[in-house]
Amino acid sequence: MRRILQINGEETETWLVHDGACFILNTPDGAIHCQLEAAGAKGGHVLRANGKVRELRLAVGPDATFVHMNGRVHEIGRIDPAERLAGSDSGSSDDRVIAPMPGVVLSVAVKPGDQVNEGQPLLVIESMKLETTLTAPRDGVVAEMPFAEGDSFGLKDILAQLAPEEE
Amino acid sequence: MTISKLLVANRGEIAARVLRTAKARGLATAVLRHATEQEGPAHLIADEVVTIDGPTPVAAYLDISQIVEAAKRIGADAVHPGYGFLSENAGFVAALEKAGVTFVGPTSEVIDLMGDKVRARAFVEERGFPVAPSAIEDDDPASFVERASAVGYPLLIKPSAGGGGKGMRVVREDSTLETEIETARREGERYFGDGRLFVERYIERPRHIEVQVMGDGQGNVVHFWERECSIQRRFQKIIEETPSPALTPGQRDEICETAAGIARAVKYRGAGTVEFIYSRDGAFYFLEMNTRLQVEHPVTELVTGFDLVAEQLRIAAGKGLSAAQADIPQTGHSIELRICAEDATTDFRPAIGDILLLDEPMGEGIRVDSGILDGGKVTTDFDPMLSKLIVHGPDRAQAIARARQAVQNYVVLGVTTNTGYLDAILAHPDFASGDVSTGFLAEQSETLTAPGEDVSDLLMAAAALSDERLLSDVMQISEMHRKMGGWRN
Repeated sequence: MRRILQINGEETETWLVHDGACFILNTPDGAIHCQLEAAGAKGGHVLRANGKVRELRLAVGPDATFVHMNGRVHEIGRIDPAERLAGSDSGSSDDRVIAPMPGVVLSVAVKPGDQVNEGQPLLVIESMKLETTLTAPRDGVVAEMPFAEGDSFGLKDILAQLAPEEE
Repeated sequence: MTISKLLVANRGEIAARVLRTAKARGLATAVLRHATEQEGPAHLIADEVVTIDGPTPVAAYLDISQIVEAAKRIGADAVHPGYGFLSENAGFVAALEKAGVTFVGPTSEVIDLMGDKVRARAFVEERGFPVAPSAIEDDDPASFVERASAVGYPLLIKPSAGGGGKGMRVVREDSTLETEIETARREGERYFGDGRLFVERYIERPRHIEVQVMGDGQGNVVHFWERECSIQRRFQKIIEETPSPALTPGQRDEICETAAGIARAVKYRGAGTVEFIYSRDGAFYFLEMNTRLQVEHPVTELVTGFDLVAEQLRIAAGKGLSAAQADIPQTGHSIELRICAEDATTDFRPAIGDILLLDEPMGEGIRVDSGILDGGKVTTDFDPMLSKLIVHGPDRAQAIARARQAVQNYVVLGVTTNTGYLDAILAHPDFASGDVSTGFLAEQSETLTAPGEDVSDLLMAAAALSDERLLSDVMQISEMHRKMGGWRN
């Protein structure tokens, strides 16, 4: 069974099997023979993988697994490839300005239909008590500015959308 | 005057911390809670939880009339404001006074004076205490730009009504001065409803050193030594310690006595902190006075052995200071780490999430002032600081070692926190040698957020083998193959 696992933004396609005795996680970099046993305090486990043995604390969230190991916390995103295909989105990321963090729109400099050049200011936002100017990712025509001055937005909301580039 | 019932007009770790002392002293206790707010440790400690409401949770905690009304309704004879929210709001103090409720803190006049950075500065300068070269817009608005330019570069623009680093801009050349002034003015208007500014000379690679003071309101003031707070991101502290590794004993006495002198000049009542900017040549200048308990007060408690909240309550009850200066020791070394829900690798972006597993460190020389509970939810409604880890050791090296061990064992799973980043700071050779400035985190950002050893094979194995749905699918297939008798690997 396949899972896409994401660590520090990097995705790896994996395929887990059981050979009757042991789990094997197949990755593009090779197979990992592995075993995980609950032990000790809440969330405590012992992991054996390719000859290494590690004690860790672990918690499983809906989309990510959190692992505390050797004094560090790691987050591993889990994506079911089937679900990703079903919910695949349209539009190139190059066409959008995505909110880097939640905040408020202070001013909007352009409107749909405007021709903009790469680097041209589109809107000014305030997040975490700081003013930031967001600029056009490329030359193009503004398709949509979903937020008006004074509006609040969330992390990863689309703050500006450019019309798709003509091939 | 006695205090028998205390309302803590705050939340999170500081509410829990104040409540613990109040309860230990036999007071009846109450704390606020917004209708949508997660249950926290404070709600479990307080005898009574008072629900407040407002358009946003923060707005509710800033609603003076609602909170004063709540204090009267439950029969609280005193209110402790914690830090932030209404702790430095003279209007709140006046409203409580009018309602006959004691405010645990200074008078509204002193809050007013120290809350206005320009007036505070002028007050301190007039009494012969050191301040950095500056220009104040209000003195003559027409010539402000010209006078600012004359202060010399680099300079720092600050809102007169500001604090906490908001709206501050560093200007390095004349050509950008006017546009930066306009930006700072807009920020000042937005955050503080006040666009007045002042500029002062920007001290390169400065340290931030502050002094804890306590006054009885009659002119008697003692200090509880200094705290070094140079480890800051976005002008906000994340690691504080005492004693400061930068000061010689002579400099320590000088800076602490200066702070006590400033507090004496205003006949300060209660706990306060005088902040200084400390230049590499040993000169120091008054920055501001915070008229409340500070986030980082526990390091002072661990080296002096005093409970500062108990001192505050004692003074508020009119019983005066409990100790003379000579009776306040500075023993060993203490470090505080602020555990924040934020991602240090993406410019400290606040993180949200459910706390799936919480295990906080314990042991000798370790104190945790926590505002979270296992199973709780971290939202963006409030500040990203979740808790504070404070350690004490016989000397600085041992305190650092203890802090590293404790922060490595501080397990918060489910929401991104800065524990790994804090440990990376403690492990940095410049931190170990004490050679830091307020720019340290920015200068070392790449080193401090560098990825550690690549353990992705282990992490992927752990994630796959703890995924119940994946395991059940895999086992079903394995079972099917076994039954068909065709399984070979």
